[in-house]
Amino acid sequence: MLPEPEKAYLKALVALQNKNYAAASGYFKIAENLVADNAEIRILAEATDTILAVHDEIAETENVTRN
Amino acid sequence: MTRLETLKKLESKLECFIDRVVASEVGRIEALRQIDTLDDIARDSLRGRHINTRLGRWLAENNRGFVNERFDRDHKSRIGALFNEIRSGLDSADFESRKLVDEIDSWRDKGIVPKRKLVLKIKPEIRVRNIATHFQEFMSKESEYIEAEFKRSPHLLSILDDVLKSADAKSDPMFLHLAGSIVYYLKINGYKIGPYVKRLKQIEQSRAEKVDAS
Repeated sequence: MLPEPEKAYLKALVALQNKNYAAASGYFKIAENLVADNAEIRILAEATDTILAVHDEIAETENVTRN
Repeated sequence: MTRLETLKKLESKLECFIDRVVASEVGRIEALRQIDTLDDIARDSLRGRHINTRLGRWLAENNRGFVNERFDRDHKSRIGALFNEIRSGLDSADFESRKLVDEIDSWRDKGIVPKRKLVLKIKPEIRVRNIATHFQEFMSKESEYIEAEFKRSPHLLSILDDVLKSADAKSDPMFLHLAGSIVYYLKINGYKIGPYVKRLKQIEQSRAEKVDAS
């Protein structure tokens, strides 16, 4: 059987294909062992978390500008 | 440049980076997706569910002609391992299942085999000496199986039901042992276990009859 982290990594990639960054970030957390062991996957996971943080910042900045 | 513009530019750069990485992995994603589907089929097979239609479709979609283009060596060995799991659960008395077994065997002939091939050349006395290690490995395998089952369902009785179905369909002794273990655990916790004990005995009897017949 495939280990859960590998199944989660696949789901993370599919979520990224669909630009669903929040779901991808969740799956990368389930695949934490793979993320820790593989530099390329780690960069992708960190880029995903960063883009989510940027989205939050944009929403906050737009909110402040509107008010 | 305003803060918002800077953030939007950063967002666009990150999106572009992720898109390019994912685009470069499209082939791998498709291969992993196919292996994931086969893994789901193998898991359902272990639970005693009917998988023939889905397996047939998977084999047709991943026609052997595409195998070398789609899958690397690691993928092929994973597929080989999953085929082993699935093959052991197919009923050779059924015509449709026999066709699937033949198809799986023809894939194996083309090199779709598990990486870890055990060559057992251990003398019997060494085996006896290592029974504790074997038991430890056996328990560890059961523990992994139970952990995966609990992720699917938190109910022990429905897990027991699946384990009994697998014990009936598979030759792997783990399911029989695991079913007995769960039944006994339920007993010492005051559950009514009569119907499960009856099923377990029937499965044991049917196995014994198969051994006698062979």
